[in-house]
Amino acid sequence: MTTLDSPALDRAKDTGTTPLRLVRAEIMKIRTTSMWWLFLIGFTVFTALALTSNGFSHHYQLYPQPGVSDRAQALAQAAQARTPAGVASIAVSMMTSGQFLGVLFVMLLGVVVVTSEFAHQTATATFMTVPRRSQVILAKLAAAGCFGALFWLVATVINGVVTPLYLHSQHVSTSLAGWTVVRSVLLNLLAFVIWAVFGLGLGALIRSQVGSVVAGIAVYLGGFAVVEIIFHLIYQVYRQGWVLGAPVIAPAVASNVMITPGRAFPHGPPQWAGLVIMVGYAAALTAAGIVVTRRRDVT
Amino acid sequence: MVILIAVLVLGGLAWLWQRNGGNGGSARILDVPLRSAGRPTGGRPVPAGRLAEGRIAVSGLTKQYRDVKAVDNLSFVVEPGRVTGFLGPNGAGKTTTLRMILGLVEPTAGTATIGGVRYADLDQPIRRVGGVLEASGAHQGRTGRNHLRVVCQAAGLPLARADEVLELVGLTAAGDRAFRGYSLGMRQRLGVAAALLGDPQVLVLDEPANGLDPEGIRWMRDLLRTLAAGGRTILVSSHLMPEMELLADDLIIIAAGRLAARGTTASILGSAAPGGRTLVRTPELEKLTAALGGDAVVMPAGAGEVYITGVDAAAIGDAAQRAGVALHQLTTERPDLEAVFLELTTGQEAIR
Repeated sequence: MTTLDSPALDRAKDTGTTPLRLVRAEIMKIRTTSMWWLFLIGFTVFTALALTSNGFSHHYQLYPQPGVSDRAQALAQAAQARTPAGVASIAVSMMTSGQFLGVLFVMLLGVVVVTSEFAHQTATATFMTVPRRSQVILAKLAAAGCFGALFWLVATVINGVVTPLYLHSQHVSTSLAGWTVVRSVLLNLLAFVIWAVFGLGLGALIRSQVGSVVAGIAVYLGGFAVVEIIFHLIYQVYRQGWVLGAPVIAPAVASNVMITPGRAFPHGPPQWAGLVIMVGYAAALTAAGIVVTRRRDVT
Repeated sequence: MVILIAVLVLGGLAWLWQRNGGNGGSARILDVPLRSAGRPTGGRPVPAGRLAEGRIAVSGLTKQYRDVKAVDNLSFVVEPGRVTGFLGPNGAGKTTTLRMILGLVEPTAGTATIGGVRYADLDQPIRRVGGVLEASGAHQGRTGRNHLRVVCQAAGLPLARADEVLELVGLTAAGDRAFRGYSLGMRQRLGVAAALLGDPQVLVLDEPANGLDPEGIRWMRDLLRTLAAGGRTILVSSHLMPEMELLADDLIIIAAGRLAARGTTASILGSAAPGGRTLVRTPELEKLTAALGGDAVVMPAGAGEVYITGVDAAAIGDAAQRAGVALHQLTTERPDLEAVFLELTTGQEAIR
């Protein structure tokens, strides 16, 4: 015996879509599939590997091994690393471990948040429930941003536990609450959130799951090398300093500039330029994704 | 190093893909039979004053794809309180039309409204209209219950409503199982459950009988009839003609994107071959033919059998009695929907 009566609906007072409910629904969508925790496990493993690798490299920086080719230079570098600024820089490096692949993971998460709707044909249910498609994309943006922040939090907790122990073991000390370290950790959060939004916009623009995942990885890993080579070749002809700074137009380079206080590389543009370019990419991709999503038929 | 890590990431993703099973082909499927879901009862009837809010009006609806006119100047009205069958051969434009009604596909021209309002402009659309569009419309790795809960959350419905509709379609036992393990019939039922979440006044279903066993088809028919009896508007597309004959009060038949026929099921069945024909078996055929008179047309049907048209069975029986002819069989054959449908739609495909 089944009934069409609904005590639950009778009890419900105010039904209807609100921005907050929509964001919670999008978070629930991510939460109820295995993708996010698979990504999180992979990311945690990579963070641990990055921490270990950074730890070894800073150890050799602080304590040059006998038998290195240029002993004098190594000792000079070790002295440099032991200054307060040097130790702070080591702390920053340790506290932001896992960033390189972390932002790749959150970008891919952002991509899949949109593309899985089409790969699994859930877009039909989604847009029947909420026909205002731009609202759906903005809710997805917020949800992807939340998961970007979650990934950052996991990495920061791991790094925050390991880094003091590591510094102690290396007989150097610095305050992790100092502005240099805190600033880098916050910029790291910015990078995680912006890359999640970047991926989301990319996914909305390129609806094919494989297509946008490949495009995302290519932009992140390949874009770096390609623009460096291109502008280096240009520099051979035009010997102007700005040419060497121009690779910042690639998102991966812009992101690196954004999170590096001072100049990220010789002739590199200032930090704010990287931030502007990254925010610009994320906003432009999301805007284009919204336009495309509104116009395309859901079949 | 970068390349190595990228390979690792890609490898991980490939594994993830496998696990999430894009097509769910290798998953173990355990069907949950309909046992628990009997004939639905209850449900609040639609108040008389609100019946008009359930009327679907399609006017001059056209969808032009690059080189094909999928839907061509289609106009019809679907009345509340009735089950309306939407018929057409494959590729006739049924799904495109339903998707335009539900605001998923943008019409090239024309309008589709529900109670005078475009779907996209409805306040709380899923509380007004429920749509069942494709049997595979859920994430392979998400459980059926979570699929419904996500919709509840987005529409601001209580999450407990998901459990109610699961019970209604007999999927409570499978509610916490991933969608990839659902049989086609279970997927259809989950689709119906999702459509009923908002207790809508209008239901639009695209081939809901696909993948259902005979018991499931009967359950679906009972459900739709019960809902229509309560004043709800039911628009259901199908290619299963015998099923539509049993289910639909009204029919809309399209072919090659154009309207081929519309009206009540009875009138459409009647219009095609008035009176039908009568199968007669008798040992004294010549005597009977002579007694029937000029109106009757006799066509041989087999050994000792003929089809007679032009007069009805009563007239044949009376004539046989007058002539003293023994009748071994006298059967009126109503034209079936399939024949009518083929008559209305054949040749239309050539237009495209």
